[in-house]
Amino acid sequence: MPKLSLIGMLRRSLVHRRARSLSALVAMTVSAGVATALLTLYADLDAKLHKEFRSFGANIVITAPATAPLRPDALEKVQQAAGPDALAAEFAYAVATTDRGTAVVVAGTDFAAVKRLDSWWQVDAWPDASAANVALLGQRAAQFVADEKAVTLTFAGHAITLHGAGRLRTGGDEDSRIYMPLAAFTAWTGVAPTVIEVQIPGGAATVESAITRLRHELPQLQVQPVRQLVEGESKIVDRTHALMYGAVLLIALTVAVSVLATLSASVLERRRDFALMKALGGSQLELMSMFLLEALVLAIAGVAVGFVVGSAAAWAISEGNFHTASLPRLSVLPLVLLLNLTIAALAALFPVRVLRGLQPAALLKGE
Amino acid sequence: MFFRLLMESFRRQRRRKMLAGLAILLGTTAVTAMLALATTIGDRIHKELAVYGANIVVYPKTDLLDVKIGGVDVKPATGGSYLKESDLAKLKTIFWANNITGISPELTFPAQLTAIPNHGPVPTRFTGYWFQHDFGTLKTGAGALHPWWKLQGDWPIPQHPEKGPSEENEVVIGSKLANQLGLSIGDRFHSNLTSVTSLRVTGIVTTGDEKDSEVLLALADAQRIRFGVSPHSTDASPNARDNSDAISRVEVSARTKPEDAFARVNPDSLSPQQREIWYCRPYANSIAYQIREAIPGAEASQVRRVEQSEGNVLSRISGLMWLVSAAALLAAGFAVSAAMATAVLERRGEIGLMRSLGASKGAIALLFYAETGLLAIFAGALGYLIGSGLAAWLGARIFSGDGGSAAAVLNPVLLPVVVALALVVAIAGSTPSIRSALRMDPSAILREDG
Repeated sequence: MPKLSLIGMLRRSLVHRRARSLSALVAMTVSAGVATALLTLYADLDAKLHKEFRSFGANIVITAPATAPLRPDALEKVQQAAGPDALAAEFAYAVATTDRGTAVVVAGTDFAAVKRLDSWWQVDAWPDASAANVALLGQRAAQFVADEKAVTLTFAGHAITLHGAGRLRTGGDEDSRIYMPLAAFTAWTGVAPTVIEVQIPGGAATVESAITRLRHELPQLQVQPVRQLVEGESKIVDRTHALMYGAVLLIALTVAVSVLATLSASVLERRRDFALMKALGGSQLELMSMFLLEALVLAIAGVAVGFVVGSAAAWAISEGNFHTASLPRLSVLPLVLLLNLTIAALAALFPVRVLRGLQPAALLKGE
Repeated sequence: MFFRLLMESFRRQRRRKMLAGLAILLGTTAVTAMLALATTIGDRIHKELAVYGANIVVYPKTDLLDVKIGGVDVKPATGGSYLKESDLAKLKTIFWANNITGISPELTFPAQLTAIPNHGPVPTRFTGYWFQHDFGTLKTGAGALHPWWKLQGDWPIPQHPEKGPSEENEVVIGSKLANQLGLSIGDRFHSNLTSVTSLRVTGIVTTGDEKDSEVLLALADAQRIRFGVSPHSTDASPNARDNSDAISRVEVSARTKPEDAFARVNPDSLSPQQREIWYCRPYANSIAYQIREAIPGAEASQVRRVEQSEGNVLSRISGLMWLVSAAALLAAGFAVSAAMATAVLERRGEIGLMRSLGASKGAIALLFYAETGLLAIFAGALGYLIGSGLAAWLGARIFSGDGGSAAAVLNPVLLPVVVALALVVAIAGSTPSIRSALRMDPSAILREDG
C-alpha cells in the first residue's frame, strides 16, 4: 500500500467526490466573482458619475469687472489654475442691430471649446473652426434676421456680413443670441472677452478648492459657482454612492451566507469520512486542518476564476452603461481573497461542534 | 402516501431544509430589494434632479427679442406681449398633466426704489412670483422650482385689494441689493410705481445669480403695481384692466422620459398613428407641444441644459441599478442552485432506498420537485417580504423626504415574479443532481453510503 501523503489525500478527496467539489467550487467562484465585479464597479463609480455630470456644462463663471475687460492671457491662466481636466471657454458680448433693425446680443467665442463645454446645445451644424465669418443663430434671434445665409449686423456704424451655419436651440438665453468666432468678433467690434465659463469635473469640494485657487490667481476677477449645479451634483453622486454601497453589502452578504450554507452542509455530510479517519487514529486537530485545507484550496481556486469572471462582468456593465471600460483592479483582490477565505474557514469550522460530539464507532456501525 | 412522505421529509430533516431554505430566502431577499430599488430609482432620482430647476419654459410667441447679457437686461423691452395667468389652469387638462410637478409663472419689469435713507432713487427690477400657490393638488411656486435659493425670513403674502386698500405690500429682496442699500427684514421703502403703498421687506434671498439684486414680490401684487391702478387712483384705463393677469414667462417642471431619436422628430411630419404614439409619450418635447396647444399664443420649449443632462444622468443611474440587479439575480441564482444541488446530493441514500423498495423514477422525481417547490414558495414569499422592507428602509435612509406608505413599500407585481424566479432557480438547480442520482444503480448507492 503506497504511503498516503497529505497532498495525496487532498487530491483524492477533491477528485473522488467530483460533483460535490464542483458545486463547492462553483459556489466559491460565484462569491469571488460577485465581490470582484461589485468592488471594481464601486471603486470608480464616483469618477464615472462625475463624468456624466459634465453634460450639465460650466459650473463656474468668471466675470471681468465692468471697468476693464479680461486680459489676453486670462484664459490661459484660468486653464492653468483649474487643471488639465477642466474645460474653459471665453465669451465676449455686444449688442448689435440686425438687418431688420432689431437689437440683438452678439457673442464672440471659440466654437470648438463651446462644443465640448456645452454639449446640450442642439445645433444644425457646427461651423467650421477655421472659417472666420460664420455664425450660429439662436432660434428666436433667427426670426429677426431677414436672410439666415447672409446675416448683416451693424455695431457702432460698422457693418459685417456673416454666413449663417445653422440654428441653435437651447431653451435658454442662448436662443436670443447670435454666436460668431471670437477673432472676427473682436476685429469687428473692438470688444474684448468679459466672461470665462469653466467646468471643473468633481463634487462640491473639488469645485470649492478650484474656486479658491482661481480667486487667488486672478484676484481682480469675480469667480462665481453655478450653485444649483454644484449642489445638485454632489447630492446625487452621494445618494447613488450610498445606494451602491447598500447593494454591494446586501449582495455580498447574500452570496456569502448561501455559499456558507452549501459548504458547511457538504462538510457535515462527510461525517463518515471523519469517523473513519478518527477510528484510524487521526487527532481532532489533524482532521480539522484536513477539512480546512480542502476548503481553502477550493476558496483560492474560486478566487482565481472569480476574479477573471468578475472583472469581465464589471467591464461589461460599465461598457454597457457608461460607455467607458472599467479595467480590472488588482487592488480589490486582497479583499476578495479575504472574503472567500473567511467564508471557507467558517464553512469548515462551523460543523466542528457537531463533529466533535460524534462517536466514531456508533457512526460507522450506522446508528 | 405521497403527502406523508412530503410532510415527514420536512418534519424530520429540519436542518437540511433550513439550509436550503436559508439560501433561497437570502437570494430572494436580495433580488426583491434590488428590483424594488431599481423600479423606483427613476422617480427618486428625478426628485433629486429637481434641484436643477424647470425643464420646460413657456413664453409669449410674439415676444420681442431678449437683449440680456449675463442675466441683465441691457435694453429692457417696453410694452411687449404677455401670457395670461388665468390660462395656466389649462395645463391641468393636457394629456400629461399628472407629470407636471411644479409651475412658476413670473412677471418682470423695471422700477426704481425710493425713500431709502442715504440713497437716491435706485434702479432695479421687480419680479412677481407665485409663492406656495395652490394649483390643483400641487402647492408650487418660485421656491419649489428654485430649490437652491436660500431664504432668510418669509416669502411675501399677497395683499387682498377686495378687502380694501392696503397700506403696504410684502416683498423679498435679493441679498446683493440688501447689502448695497443696508436693508434688513422689517424695513420699509417706496418705489416710483407705488407712491402711496409702502413695501415692507419680509425676507432676504440668496440665489447666486442676477436675482440677487432684484426685488421679488407676490405675482398678484406685481400685476397690480405694473398694470393695475393703485387703489387710490381713478384713471383706470381699459387697457390696464386687460393686462391685470399678465405674466411674462412660466417655468414648468415635469417628469419626463429621456429623449431618444423618436422624441426629436417633428410630430407634424408623422403619420396619424405614429403621431399618436409620440403624443402619448412623456417626452419633454411632447409635453411642450401639448402646452403650446393648450395655451393660446404661447411658445414652449425644453430647457436643454436641464432636460438633456437630466435624461443622461437618470438613464445612467437607473441603468446601473438594473445591471447590478441582474448581477444580484445571477449570483443569487447560482448560490441557490448550488445549495439545492448539495441538498439532493446528500440524499442519494434515500433515493437508493426508495428505488430498491420499488418506487418509480417519476414518483421520486415528483417527490423531490414537490419538496423543492414548497420550499421555494415559502422561502420566496418570506424573502419577498423581507426584501421589500429592506428596500423601503434603504430608500428612506438614502433618499430624504420619502414617506413610504404600505402600498408603496409592497410592490404586488414583484411577488409573483420573485416567487416564480425562486421556483425556476431551485428546480433548475436540483435537476442535475436528481437526474444523476436516479441514473445510478440503487445497490451501488446503498453500498457506498452504507
